[in-house]
Amino acid sequence: MREALARAGGVAARGAVEQRAREPVAHPFASARVLEGARMAALPVGDAHPAPDGSGFVDGIQRLVVDGHYGLVPVIRGHVAAAVLERVDGVLSAVATEFEEFLVVPVRRLSAPQHTALEQVGLAVYDSDPGARPHPIVDRYAALQVIERRRERAELAAAGAFLRARPGGWLFRDGSIGGLAALPGGDRVVGLVKSHETQFLDGEDLVVALTLPEGCRSGVFERIEEGRRPMLTWYLRLWPWSELDLLHGLMRVERCPGDHVIAEAGDVSRWLLAERTPISAPDARWDRLIYPIHEVEMYLRARVGGWG
Amino acid sequence: MTADTAPVIGRVVATEQLPAGPHQFHFWTATHTSIGIGAIVRVDAPDGRVVYAVVIDGRAYSDLVSPLHDVLAAEGDPAVTAPPTRRTEIRLWTGAVLRQIPEEPLQPVPLAEVREATAADVEIALRMDAYVRATPSTAIPVGMYTAAGMRAPIYLDADFLLGPESAHLNINGVSGLATKTSAVTFLLQSVFAHFPASKGRIAAVCFNVKGPDLAFLDQPADLDDDDRAMYAALRVPAEPFGRLRYFAPLKADGVNLNTLRSHEDLAASVEPLIWGLREVLDYSEVLLNRDDIDAKADAFLDFLADRVVGKRFDDDWGGRHLVESFTALERLFRAIFDGLETTGGRDMWRTHHIATIRKVRNRLLNISTRCKGLVTDDEGAHDLPFGAFEDRSVYVVDVAGVDPLGQDLVFTRVVSKLREHLERGDLGVEHVIVFVDELNKYAPGDGPDTYVRRMLLDISERGRYLGLVLFGAQQFRSQVHRRVVGNASTTVYGRMDMDELAMPGYAVLSPATKIKLATLPKGELMVRHPHFTQPIFLKFPRPASLAGRQGIEQFPPVADVPFDDAIARQLSAMDRRIVRARVVDLIAGRREDEVRAALLATRRAKPSDPLAYFRARLGAVIATTRGDAPDGDGLRSLKPVEDPYAP
Repeated sequence: MREALARAGGVAARGAVEQRAREPVAHPFASARVLEGARMAALPVGDAHPAPDGSGFVDGIQRLVVDGHYGLVPVIRGHVAAAVLERVDGVLSAVATEFEEFLVVPVRRLSAPQHTALEQVGLAVYDSDPGARPHPIVDRYAALQVIERRRERAELAAAGAFLRARPGGWLFRDGSIGGLAALPGGDRVVGLVKSHETQFLDGEDLVVALTLPEGCRSGVFERIEEGRRPMLTWYLRLWPWSELDLLHGLMRVERCPGDHVIAEAGDVSRWLLAERTPISAPDARWDRLIYPIHEVEMYLRARVGGWG
Repeated sequence: MTADTAPVIGRVVATEQLPAGPHQFHFWTATHTSIGIGAIVRVDAPDGRVVYAVVIDGRAYSDLVSPLHDVLAAEGDPAVTAPPTRRTEIRLWTGAVLRQIPEEPLQPVPLAEVREATAADVEIALRMDAYVRATPSTAIPVGMYTAAGMRAPIYLDADFLLGPESAHLNINGVSGLATKTSAVTFLLQSVFAHFPASKGRIAAVCFNVKGPDLAFLDQPADLDDDDRAMYAALRVPAEPFGRLRYFAPLKADGVNLNTLRSHEDLAASVEPLIWGLREVLDYSEVLLNRDDIDAKADAFLDFLADRVVGKRFDDDWGGRHLVESFTALERLFRAIFDGLETTGGRDMWRTHHIATIRKVRNRLLNISTRCKGLVTDDEGAHDLPFGAFEDRSVYVVDVAGVDPLGQDLVFTRVVSKLREHLERGDLGVEHVIVFVDELNKYAPGDGPDTYVRRMLLDISERGRYLGLVLFGAQQFRSQVHRRVVGNASTTVYGRMDMDELAMPGYAVLSPATKIKLATLPKGELMVRHPHFTQPIFLKFPRPASLAGRQGIEQFPPVADVPFDDAIARQLSAMDRRIVRARVVDLIAGRREDEVRAALLATRRAKPSDPLAYFRARLGAVIATTRGDAPDGDGLRSLKPVEDPYAP
């Protein structure tokens, strides 16, 4: 097989054995407008260089537990947490944290006494609004959507606190920039996208982007997606992918739109290249999950502890 | 200081793999912490329980699961630029419980905050409060606990160091680095300063077995401010020993002292240790080959000791003897052999066969030859002041230059005499500390059963009932007789050799404690004491007495001098006005033994006019040539007879 691949210009891989196909991607495609150069090209980043001292790293976690039922109505308790760890002299320490515990129920399906009883618990009660007919899985999924929004709100609050307290400080977020773009100082936020579920490029541009050699980035392009704020973004290959997977070590970097983004893409890429060490192994996402973000997760998990 | 004011430095953690028990627990601290191996901490449980512990181990690790991950991150190049983020790191410590309050019910250590111990905590943790605050206090300062910038005195309990509850101290460590002699010197000063008068009087007998180790205990040493501060904190005078008497045998020439403390400024304070027949006879077995001394010889020795020595004794041929010296003993032997020969060649005298008599004669008279300088042929001995020991005094016996057999004799006789006098209660003091270095050599775990080893065993096992306490030192504890070290209630460790620490006897120590012991700086020790449930590290000040090496530089020993000069020098040391020429004139034409006897008598009498006393003791000049022995005196050869035991 390896010879067959090589003969026809292919690249052999050492893929992991999988037993079932992955879930279909909800939004597999969107569009893009290439901004840097006429066509997408692999641009060597150069030597890695650490991000400025005082940079922050933000992430959030969420937990839920079904505390009981009123008939078929699930009473779900959620907990979200978010934190910004600031790095000074190589040491990470928490500078902004947000924690919230709350209840999520389909309020319309509760009787007045049931609603009153829950309100007397002392936790905020949010409506999951799953629809008219009960469905254990759908109801739970609806509650999860609420919890995710609360988690995003927590991250937003923590990030906002950091950006206000550290004017000029860079903030790296796990995932898309999302709502952080609207914060004052949002131009200093860098989103680190690991999932690659939505492909914005097509044709040869996509080939170039997904086959970037180690230490190279793509040109900056504008991500265009219906219903979402446009973002400037580029791909960066942290680790060699040869003989592995196309997405191995591939990160997509997001920035809020701005004239300076293309000029700063090289520096930001070099900062991220420096984050290859220390690696976040044994986390399965170690090739794309930078260590400080991994530490934010660890910090939050330790703070939340055995919640439930 | 209370828990409210002591800073929190850690938190007890327990997992299924690393649970907290009643005797040991684990806690973490910040990466930058003031504590280390040997530090004392306290844990305050919310229910009021307080646990005191000493740190016996420490570990640090990060969230790195496999070293391969680090290799991967550095892409195989260890010289790669340092990572921008330092991995999260933990300092995980192991504490060994010293004390729990309340003591019952004994429970696992609570998962609570850990604080540095204060000076008051140290006192409670080591159970010192029971004797530091007793009336009278039996606390003997041994050094300072130092950790986290805090210093606290550490005390031993005199009842457990010097008896009667338990006793003896053993100190262990490599030569030159463990500061064993310094530690014992300081501890003796501390004992003299703090031993309660109500417990009786106390003195120390120190055997100087090598070089000048104990030769300058009465000379002041240079101390720095840190040392003086420790002396002040421990309330021990930073002064050399005020009451010290120094004893050393003479060399074979009979006039020069066999010691490195021979500098003319100090020589006058060295007293000769001279023993005659009377002193040696009871301990002759130490010097005699046990294979030679059979029951018959033993019986004859007893006969001499009981019936002859020191008594008027008539032989069977009209001769009357007063045997008080080897010379007089030889005269008796000659009379016996001559008498037997003149009475028809009899081979028995008073039930003793002539062969036995010849054998004993040869062995006994050989003692003064083998231990020349220590044992004299003549009458007149100079001994330790048994019966007149003084409170808080040190008696140094310098046997460093004496051959091993002579050392054995000195140890055995001195300790036996101490024991005899203590048993009778007429030594002058009620407690005596005997310091012996090189226990490896004198009480080895294997090898022949010697008198010295038996004597040391006897002190170890029964000494505390008499007030006889052994402070022993050696390089390798594992090579000393188990009962000697095992009976020492207090054990002190200086810098140790790793090979020694690998011996089974040290299995109770944690690996970190062993490493600390193997790298212990000078002036630091680890102490085990009955009140301390775990070994404790401490610092002690340098002795206020001059150490041997510095002493030799400050007071270099003088070379041996001819007989005339030696006599003149020793008299001059008693009285600076005495000039050499007068002494030389005075002893011209005298026999050396006469001169030595006169000098010894002058030393003992300590007259106001030493020269006049010396002249009087010499008496009138008799017409002999110096060095010639008159008939009937000296150790002449026997008639050439068949003697199967002749040496």
